[in-house]
Amino acid sequence: MARFRDKKRKVFVKPIVQKKLGAVDHVTGDKIPKSFVFSRGKLPGPLRQLQMDLRKLMLPFTALNLKEKKRNSLKDFLNVAGPMGVTHFLMLSKTDASPYMKVARTPQGPTLTFKINKYSLASDVAQSQLRPRCPKDLFKNPPLIVLSGFGTGEQHLKLTTIMFQNIFPAIDVNTVKLSSCQRIVLLNYNKDTKLIDFRHYSIRLQPVGVSRRIRKFVQNHQIPDLRNLQDVSDFVTRAGYGSESEVDEEAATVTLVSNLGRTNKASSKSAVRLQEIGPRMTLQLVRVEEGLCTGGVIFSEYGYGAEKKLDKREDSQIEDSDHEEDEDDSDNADEMEEDTENGNDD
Amino acid sequence: MIDAKNWLWDDIIYAEVAPPGVLSGPDTQNYPAQDDDRAASLYWGNFSSMTEETSITGSGGVLGKRKIGKKKSNNAKKKMKVFQGAGEKVKYDRKMKKLFRKRAKEYNSDDDDDDNAADKSFPNKNHGTYSERNGYGTRKLGADKLDEEPELSEGEDDDEDIEVLPAVTRFAEGCRAFRVAFKSIIKKSALDDVLGPILSGQKKLVAQKLAEEESEKKLRGEAKKEKLLIGEKGHIKPSNYLDSHEKFLIGVATKGVVKLFNAVSKAQSAQKGLNPASSKDEKVIKKRRKEAFFSALGTRAASSSDTSAKVVASGERMGSEPPSWAPLHDNYMLTSCKLKDWDKMQETPEDEDVGKSSHGSSSDDD
Repeated sequence: MARFRDKKRKVFVKPIVQKKLGAVDHVTGDKIPKSFVFSRGKLPGPLRQLQMDLRKLMLPFTALNLKEKKRNSLKDFLNVAGPMGVTHFLMLSKTDASPYMKVARTPQGPTLTFKINKYSLASDVAQSQLRPRCPKDLFKNPPLIVLSGFGTGEQHLKLTTIMFQNIFPAIDVNTVKLSSCQRIVLLNYNKDTKLIDFRHYSIRLQPVGVSRRIRKFVQNHQIPDLRNLQDVSDFVTRAGYGSESEVDEEAATVTLVSNLGRTNKASSKSAVRLQEIGPRMTLQLVRVEEGLCTGGVIFSEYGYGAEKKLDKREDSQIEDSDHEEDEDDSDNADEMEEDTENGNDD
Repeated sequence: MIDAKNWLWDDIIYAEVAPPGVLSGPDTQNYPAQDDDRAASLYWGNFSSMTEETSITGSGGVLGKRKIGKKKSNNAKKKMKVFQGAGEKVKYDRKMKKLFRKRAKEYNSDDDDDDNAADKSFPNKNHGTYSERNGYGTRKLGADKLDEEPELSEGEDDDEDIEVLPAVTRFAEGCRAFRVAFKSIIKKSALDDVLGPILSGQKKLVAQKLAEEESEKKLRGEAKKEKLLIGEKGHIKPSNYLDSHEKFLIGVATKGVVKLFNAVSKAQSAQKGLNPASSKDEKVIKKRRKEAFFSALGTRAASSSDTSAKVVASGERMGSEPPSWAPLHDNYMLTSCKLKDWDKMQETPEDEDVGKSSHGSSSDDD
């Protein structure tokens, strides 16, 4: 049928069955927090990569392929977030001074504005390592979160801890499977410099007390070379020199409840080994606002109070900034203010 | 008498009318370059005159008709010529005429042997050319080349062949000459620089434009580089080795993970034997959870200030003992929301945050 040959040959595609992520956690009964990671304004290349890395970090409870257009404003995202059950927004933006990241709780939650002093992409980190590790289903489960150094008692710090704890779903100690805890996000606060280190690691368990060769043999199923040995006992008992990181393993040993693969048996000691994946950031908390990018300023790093902010906002609403200004005049005002503030401080 | 000879004769006489070298035709390039320029110009002169003649006579299909027509006009003009006495009077015999004819043919031939052979029987067009050729041949003779005639006329027996050959060779010679000339031009133009064989005035302009473009490109390149630098601001590549700070951070994270795993193992190993389905066991489970929760709270208060890991009990709150963290109070936010509640939180700075219970309250904070 030459005449009616359709150009698009319809190939039979097996429908991909996607596991539906429930809105409610089965165990705790609470709502599972979901997030959107997007950018305000056009970002240069490395920052776009950073946005992608952050999206991967927030998996599985985030929109990996979120497509944003230039004309989308914050309101659009809010409108979509409601029905989809999205609870947090992570917004990346950039000014001439530096990139900024805002963490906000929808729909009316507080907004934390962080200035990204330094950052490294996941690809950079992988390149710097000898053996980068990324198992297949690393991003199937949400990460753990560890907050350290936030205990000084200041308000904004407390708010930060609450915010970050709520971004990731809760873990029930009684029912969690250890095999599902594969990633960890670390936020370390340094009192002196007021900087927050943001790291992302992958967790690996290794049996303790087993020599390296035997462990590798069991893991990789590679038949070792016994040419030079007289007896199998030589292979088993030979003391190989340990790597430098093995010294610290004493403190890192845990006793597993269940078996994790062939190597880690229950009720035997295993060591926890972390390897860095994912982006690395150094953040500085700059501002905390009551609303979603609006509202009164609860905390501001550079000391500008709430009243001053109101005055400045009216002035800078007219000016144009890098970001699209559809209906987010207030947001633009925030960005402009940050610029001016930073300019003053520099 | 009307025959070919007479016709040619008349032709020749008529050819003398136009003075030599006057008429230079515009189509010189179509013909191969002749050694003798004067001959060429004479040829051209004849050409124009011949065209006139043919137009006067009209289109004659057969040679005979034209002859008649021509004869008439020539007769009239013949007398005039004789009287005027302009130009030389040259008498040509039959051999000369043949020679003229041949030369004209050669000159007009486009290297087509067939045409030369079957010339006479062809229709109008070819006849026209034929007559032209004759004219040319006469013209040449009308010039100063009377010496060549006997030589050429000798080898006239094989008419077509010999006529063709010199035509071909002449054409080839012309081609060769043309090629030489063309090559010399190309060589000259190749010597010019990039701009090519153009006039010097425009050369300057083009050079100027190129210089402008280059400067523009440079500017654009610099602007691009600047933009790239701004985009890369803050982006650092991590070093290959593990920094001491990095090691410290990894240690902190490891401690947190270890704590969590220990808590998990504690909680889960205790449960191992119990079956959640049976109600009896369920009570035991509940009890154990309570204890674990409280113990965890208690230990957290006394734990080190550095690490706090997020370990969550299943969210049940026991009301018997007031929890150390303010939002866990039953009457949190129900009393007057003063800052003193925040003060209460400050009393227990080293708390591990019991994350999930705060979840509901954080939304109330707005």
